[in-house]
Amino acid sequence: MALLPAMALLATLFAGSLIGALKVSLLPLGGGPEDAGLDQWGSLLSDPAFVDALLFTLKIAAISTGLAAAFGVLLALALRGRGAGTRLLGALPVPVPHLIVATAAVLWLAPGGLANRLLGAVPIDVIRDSGGIGVIAVYVFKEAPFIALLVLATMGRSLRQREEAAMVFGAGRAQRAAWVIWPAIRTPLLLASVIVAAFVIGAFEVPLTVGPNYPPTLATYAFEATQNDVIAGQGRAAAALLTAGALAVALAAIAVGLARSVEGD
Amino acid sequence: MTERLRRPLVPVLLTGLFAVPLAFVVVQALANSWRAPSLVPQELGWRGFEVAFGSGGAVAATANSIVVALVTTVICLLVGWPAARVLGGRRLRRSGLIALLIALPLLMPPYLAGFGLTEWFIRLGIDGALAGLVLAHVVLSLPYAILILLSGFNREIEKLEEMASVTGAGRPGRLLWVSLPSMRPALGAAALLSFLVSWSQYGSSLALGADRSTLPIVMLPFIRSDPQVGAALAVVFLIPALVAVALAARSQRSPI
Repeated sequence: MALLPAMALLATLFAGSLIGALKVSLLPLGGGPEDAGLDQWGSLLSDPAFVDALLFTLKIAAISTGLAAAFGVLLALALRGRGAGTRLLGALPVPVPHLIVATAAVLWLAPGGLANRLLGAVPIDVIRDSGGIGVIAVYVFKEAPFIALLVLATMGRSLRQREEAAMVFGAGRAQRAAWVIWPAIRTPLLLASVIVAAFVIGAFEVPLTVGPNYPPTLATYAFEATQNDVIAGQGRAAAALLTAGALAVALAAIAVGLARSVEGD
Repeated sequence: MTERLRRPLVPVLLTGLFAVPLAFVVVQALANSWRAPSLVPQELGWRGFEVAFGSGGAVAATANSIVVALVTTVICLLVGWPAARVLGGRRLRRSGLIALLIALPLLMPPYLAGFGLTEWFIRLGIDGALAGLVLAHVVLSLPYAILILLSGFNREIEKLEEMASVTGAGRPGRLLWVSLPSMRPALGAAALLSFLVSWSQYGSSLALGADRSTLPIVMLPFIRSDPQVGAALAVVFLIPALVAVALAARSQRSPI
């Protein structure tokens, strides 16, 4: 019973938004039920810009999440056993909104920006470059500390004790990392990475600020579709957003399955 | 010797990596003139804030952001508390599945949440209203609130509540004197996170708030067109995050 308000609220709004978007993707604006069809999905799949957006989104999500996970683990290891002040410093970007990190990225990394002035020259274009390096940089800056925080939560006293026990039995540094630390952190690391990947797939304020004009991500593709064509664009935007959502869910399902099969023994 | 050198290396590195880049946004907000190749501004002043908040649009947007985030937080705590309590009690079958369902909205693109709800909100007459923004923000904040509250409800609290009940405390007394005080850290963290998630929302607000914009929506175009104004808005946008860091620092210094 106590669960009812939360579940009802979440289910209504979550299902409502999915059904709303699905309806828009199947039904042309102002059309009746007899006009419903897969035309808008068809036009989406035959649009080369959509295919580019899909590939670009997958690339950005994979690289950002991979780098954030690697740096997140390194950061967690560096913060382990440190005082409260240092830990707080390491978690500083976590509460900061993405848009502010993007602002800082433009200030530092744009041509003529502070990094350029400090170093004399920056060898590559980073802001609004077609490779999306600026977008990746903002996500890694913002998400590595988030992942570190979740990983650090599992590195408590009991892990230290297990490490000491392994040391007593003669386990070296690499062996302790592989057999004691890694099993303890892999599940939270995986779940944190899924949250990060889902966010990168779906959010669009970062690519809108520091991303290239082309290719778009799935979310900016949807946004541009609604801007360029007020009537037909709605359906294509809905279909693109649903694709992004489906990608994130598929990823999460794979991750949960993976976590189960590893931890299941 | 190397250990003595290594100890301060991490804090120094982190300051340079995280704190300095963000601190320069504040400098940029106050830099009326900052031409290359100088590393310090040529002229300081309030132009950024004057332009940003002179016209009134950003003031209204900031007010909208605050109201929506506060209402979202209250709803998340009120609805999230009983849910987390039941899930934390572990008397439930399939509680793992329910937790998974609760986390599902975290995977949804925020723009999709706003976009899909617009359809229904137009019929209900709350499109473009703050109520619509609140509802969309609740879907995206409530999972975080529940998951954090869940981490607070543990065996210890159940034991304390049982003790209180044995000594004759009624339901309201238990809530007021036992549950709420012992849950204070988790409640604080859940409130803070709900507020921040709503406060930082971009996609869902853009899809819904046609004439009711929020601070990040007003801010984004300025990042490209007039960086000083963008930075001035960013400074205001940054305040809740700084409050969060300050509160975290305080709670670490006085462990409960």
